[in-house]
Amino acid sequence: MNNIYLYSIVGAGLFTLGLYALISYRHLLRKILALNIMGSGVFLILVALASGETPDPVPHAMVITGIVVAVSASALALALVLRVQAETGKAELPEESLE
Amino acid sequence: MLITMQEYPWIVIIILLPLSAAILSFLFPRRVKLLGLLLALSVIAAVAGLAWQVIEHGAQRYAIGGWAAPLGIELYADGLSLLMLMVTALVCLGVSIYSTGYFNRAYFRRSRAIYFWPLWMFLWTALNALFLSSDIFNLYVTLELLGLSAVALVALAGGADALTSAIRYLFVNLLGSLFYLAGVVLLYHRFGSLDIAILSQHIMSQQMAPSPAVWAAAGLISAGLLLKTALFPMHFWLPPAHASAPGPVSALLSALVVKASFYILLRLWLEIFPVESPVPGQLLGVLGSIAIFWGGIQALRQMRLKMLIAYSTVAQIGYLFLAFPLASYIAWKGMFFLLISHALAKTAMFMAAGNILHFGGHDRIKDFDHVVQYQPLTSAAFALAGISIMGLPPSGGFIGKWLLLEAAVNSGQWWLVIIIILGSLLAAAYIFKVIGFAFTQSEMSHQTRKVPVQMQWTALALALAAVLLGLIAPWPLALMDIGLPFGEGGSG
Amino acid sequence: MAAMTLLPLLFDTLLGLSLIWLAWRALTSTDLFQAIVLFIAFGLLMALTWVRLDAPDVAMAEAAIGAGLTGALLLATLARLKANNKTKSAPEKKFSLLLTLIILPVVTGLVYVVLTLPQNTPGLAILVAENLKTTGVTNPVTAVLLNYRGYDTLLELAVLLVALLGVWSFGGVPKPHEAYSGPVLNMLLRLLIPLLIMVAGYLLWVGANAPGGAFQAGSVLGAAGVLLLLAGWQLSTRFAELPLRIILVSGVVMFTMAGIVFIVSGRQFLEYPPSFAGAFILLIEAAATLSIGITLAALFLGGRPGLRRHK
Repeated sequence: MNNIYLYSIVGAGLFTLGLYALISYRHLLRKILALNIMGSGVFLILVALASGETPDPVPHAMVITGIVVAVSASALALALVLRVQAETGKAELPEESLE
Repeated sequence: MLITMQEYPWIVIIILLPLSAAILSFLFPRRVKLLGLLLALSVIAAVAGLAWQVIEHGAQRYAIGGWAAPLGIELYADGLSLLMLMVTALVCLGVSIYSTGYFNRAYFRRSRAIYFWPLWMFLWTALNALFLSSDIFNLYVTLELLGLSAVALVALAGGADALTSAIRYLFVNLLGSLFYLAGVVLLYHRFGSLDIAILSQHIMSQQMAPSPAVWAAAGLISAGLLLKTALFPMHFWLPPAHASAPGPVSALLSALVVKASFYILLRLWLEIFPVESPVPGQLLGVLGSIAIFWGGIQALRQMRLKMLIAYSTVAQIGYLFLAFPLASYIAWKGMFFLLISHALAKTAMFMAAGNILHFGGHDRIKDFDHVVQYQPLTSAAFALAGISIMGLPPSGGFIGKWLLLEAAVNSGQWWLVIIIILGSLLAAAYIFKVIGFAFTQSEMSHQTRKVPVQMQWTALALALAAVLLGLIAPWPLALMDIGLPFGEGGSG
Repeated sequence: MAAMTLLPLLFDTLLGLSLIWLAWRALTSTDLFQAIVLFIAFGLLMALTWVRLDAPDVAMAEAAIGAGLTGALLLATLARLKANNKTKSAPEKKFSLLLTLIILPVVTGLVYVVLTLPQNTPGLAILVAENLKTTGVTNPVTAVLLNYRGYDTLLELAVLLVALLGVWSFGGVPKPHEAYSGPVLNMLLRLLIPLLIMVAGYLLWVGANAPGGAFQAGSVLGAAGVLLLLAGWQLSTRFAELPLRIILVSGVVMFTMAGIVFIVSGRQFLEYPPSFAGAFILLIEAAATLSIGITLAALFLGGRPGLRRHK
């Protein structure tokens, strides 16, 4: 079934898109979006290769765990962004930002 | 029928104790300090129990839920994980006592101080779970638990510095975890298992060259873990985070958190990465060497004590990677000994820095007005910790560097010998810089505060432990032989 | 004949391309609000993809948590950022050649490696199916999450709790939302909230044998909580302290206690005898649903309930 590989490639593409955006953009909200999309990319590779004639439930469980971890991290990050803005006036990291 | 003391599942108790304490601290904030102390003592007892089991019966494997791998998650305790657990317990014992003084109502807003305890306990849960796990996806979850608690602990300090370094640290953690997870995905789909032992069997027993998926997975996992371990050039996030965090948190980060990802990297490197060519090892060695110099020089340039200590961590992490190009039995043991002594010494240093900060209200090195006179215990703690960092006998740092030197001489890689020696000289330079200023009188005098006794004594106690570690060196070294990867069946 | 096999492939190609396109638009859009909305759309399309890949449990979790709740959190944060900051930050149109040159080999390598992986291997599906009878449930994903690999789920519940602890420790004041309450919304809520609670209960119950489970049910509960919060509902201070904290930790606590109950009779941690397994899993999932839902709603609130703004 070719769609498995198709989705895996889409997953790889999402991972890379997210990585690029994480490094390039300075606004913290965009970085959070980028990380979430990177995560979706990894999950997609994981589940795509697990589908087929006998779907493997372990990757499904891994992805559900991953989604919950991602929302926890995003919530923490968003609350931090608000505090950073309150203290520094900007929702960005200082000049020597994430490479 | 009831089970006897020797058959208690210590391996599970070690993980559940900090978890339960964290929940109780969250529910009953008035009792946090007591809970912290009780936790520290009970974990030490549990680790002793596990140590007894491991020494008597060898490495322990525990199938959670009764499901053996590959279906379920297995815990694994050998000499290496035991040593990490012991160091963690010792450091956390110190932190639990130190923090009763540090997070005192008068000096730290109580509304924020009560969050330290549950967050620290969750951090400890994550560490224990990480050191005992034998499942690469389970390791991912523990890494995330570790990362989120660490970030929240850094942000407790408040203020622009702490908050910006906290969010940078969070992004670094998440990026590293995602790279790690990508590698896990590749390994799972190639071999159909998440268990380290099973993966090791598959990969190490292959006759032909490993498939590209294994190479890519090794690369991705290493990239993610190296970012979390702050190896040069991916160290940029460490100094601000470790320097701006509250005192005991800086200690936890430099001593333990940064070593957790290193521990995973070491295990996977030795057990499932099929490293045949010397190139990756050499690359890590080169980066480690640069880290030693870069960290040392930057430490010398720092104005603030905590930044100096943080850059010292960057340098000391570099030493750990010198073992990779050597890749011999002696080298791994030396590296591990360095890891343990650094954990103790760095905790003591950051505690001492916290005391000085508390004492004078600042940590500007030039303005250390007669610190030695007014804070003899703290100064002694810093100096003793410095002995281990420099690598002078009989400290643990000395033993570690000695073993590394021996390994370097044996394998003829003389450039490593030079680097170790020069690195130690650099360390001596920045340590003596601090001690020198501690004796001087500054131009202006400032308000000083009394430093709580427990803060002074824990710093000194841990520093002493780092120095005296060398005297009991044979015992930890022997412990490392139990189980993988240095013992029977291992490839180290 | 060819059209029969071609049609699904065409659909998948369109879906895949839309995912990439939406992600790209979301990341590069200059207006942050637009970016977040596109991200939510991306999440919903991901949910569709999960359905296409035979992963309905994941689809539900993605739609509710990944797209819904994350989107709500992002929008709420954006609104607060804008409220606190009058000045606009410089628009970021960035294209770095160096970065593209570095990333290009990464993506090609990743694609190449992914294509070398075997497809249609059952992985652990066979082992899962063989032992399913003793797990107490018939939904294999629930079996993995709550039995085979329950330890991961336990730690993950701890991660949720840590995130909430972190958010609370930052000391932000809960967002006021009085602007939205009105008669229409209130009446709608009176219908919706009980309905959502029922749906959550159903998902919880049915999760043992069909797609569903604690996370899906918990997220629906969380959505109900978010709705209540948006309508200006506030937790009475009587409940904001210890009772709230007890509910928040009930998932982890129930899981741990269920795990150690049988240790005295010689079993392992988190091992349930097959006759009790189904009941235990339901019990754990019920507690987990409650704490997940409340935690997600509390994360949306952004601050500790009961805190007041200091003037």
